[in-house]
Amino acid sequence: MSDPCAAAAAIGPAWCRRRLAKGAVAVGTVLFAGSIAPGPAFAHGLVGKQDLPIPGWLVAWAAAAVLVVSFVALAVLWPSPRWEHLTERRVAGLPRFLDPLLGTVGLALFAAVIFVGFVGAQTSTQNALPTLVFAVFWVGVPIASLLFGDVFRAINPWRALGRFSGWAAKRMLRELPEPLQYPERLGRWPAAIGIFAFVWVELIYSGRGDPSSLAVLALLYTVVQLVGMSLYGVEPWSRRADAFGVYFGLFARLSPLHWRRAGLYVRPPFAGAAGLIATAGTVALLCVMIGTTSFDGLTQGPTWNSISGWLLDDLRDIGVSPQRSVEVTFTLGLLGMIGAVYALYRLGIEGVWTVDHRRTVSELAGAFVHSLIPIALAYVVAHYFGLLAYQGQAIAYLASDPLADGSDLFGTANSAIDYGWISATGVWYVQVITLVIGHAAGLTLAHDRATAMYDDPRLAVRSQYWLLAVMVAFTGFALWLLSASA
Amino acid sequence: MLVFAHAGHWLAQIAYLLPLIVLVVLVGWGKLKQRRDRRRGRR
Repeated sequence: MSDPCAAAAAIGPAWCRRRLAKGAVAVGTVLFAGSIAPGPAFAHGLVGKQDLPIPGWLVAWAAAAVLVVSFVALAVLWPSPRWEHLTERRVAGLPRFLDPLLGTVGLALFAAVIFVGFVGAQTSTQNALPTLVFAVFWVGVPIASLLFGDVFRAINPWRALGRFSGWAAKRMLRELPEPLQYPERLGRWPAAIGIFAFVWVELIYSGRGDPSSLAVLALLYTVVQLVGMSLYGVEPWSRRADAFGVYFGLFARLSPLHWRRAGLYVRPPFAGAAGLIATAGTVALLCVMIGTTSFDGLTQGPTWNSISGWLLDDLRDIGVSPQRSVEVTFTLGLLGMIGAVYALYRLGIEGVWTVDHRRTVSELAGAFVHSLIPIALAYVVAHYFGLLAYQGQAIAYLASDPLADGSDLFGTANSAIDYGWISATGVWYVQVITLVIGHAAGLTLAHDRATAMYDDPRLAVRSQYWLLAVMVAFTGFALWLLSASA
Repeated sequence: MLVFAHAGHWLAQIAYLLPLIVLVVLVGWGKLKQRRDRRRGRR
């Protein structure tokens, strides 16, 4: 690939290069918009993905073109780091009572959900717990984190419980031993394992539809969190090891809003990700986040059936029960997909290493890992937006009649899911546009980091060639998954 | 032949890979050219 900087420099003065880059962005946008623009068939109302007038692969080509054009535009218009040493602007102060108040609300909600899980109807369609956990919590909170910042940190029930326990213990015992130093080697590994375990329960565990089993698992998680917080302190543990706190916190880094103790601050969207410190396990966590979502998408298409069929047959032949053989096969598939995501990222980093032998591949993997955050969020939104848009509405009647005993607490017990508020095509647009924006944001974050690491802007651009290929691969893969699950 | 009978299906699947293949070929070709130019410079 020819060097875009050199090509631009050969053309003429700076204004000329800027016009070239702006023109390239405009061409890319028109290309992409043209490729996904609705045809006459869309005038007929609700259509499925299968009815789309353009093939999915053409959208993948257009998305790749947008990324390449963005790459050229970044090379020309973004010669120095902008997000590395960001100054955030304070816009409002926060009252001190807000944090404990929201923590109490979060704790009360958690207790109510656990109660419903045990006492309510033991079917996934009549009990609010599965919908709350797998639609509202797992998909809704990441989107809320992007829009409003780290809202989960404020209502995190485990953090609130840890703080309350610490406060109560101090009152009773007067003197508490100092918490241990959080081991550096542990880093974000507990969070990576926690997210893997959660997705395993969501996708593979045979008791995932049983509300009381989910409630038991939530209590087990609470015990683990309390033990961790009592050993290493509430804040160090919840910032690095609480799987959900870390998971939602990563997405919140993409938000223009940053909640701090001193107040509410604003910053450019996505820029907060540049402040991520890549401790041990961060690369693994991001790969788990992308890999698990990818695997969920893969299992909804015919490709997975053809891959897994022979293994399922072999396991049944050696006497493994059908239920166990499905669990084993899916677990291997899940691990394989996470491994594939890691291998792809690692390939991109090996490419960066070809222009920077001063750093090790592991150091470079950590330096650019924050660029995977918007990709992980794009995968979540692209894959689960439909679930949130439709199944998420079920919470209105489930919350109003949480125990399925005929009560109507909020007057919405008789409401139904409105499948017409957004068409299947509308969902598809959201998915595709999110994927493109997410990958372009990843590209920008990686480019910004490269300009900070390398004094020579040309070297910074050259270091990103293989990461561009990785972004294109992730985009194409995500679009292929979407089309395969149609 | 079964493979050719389903060509439309698997070609559409492979088409997703095309931008990546083009990009990898371009980057790889650029790297090879760079290495060749360096070798020539040494001589």
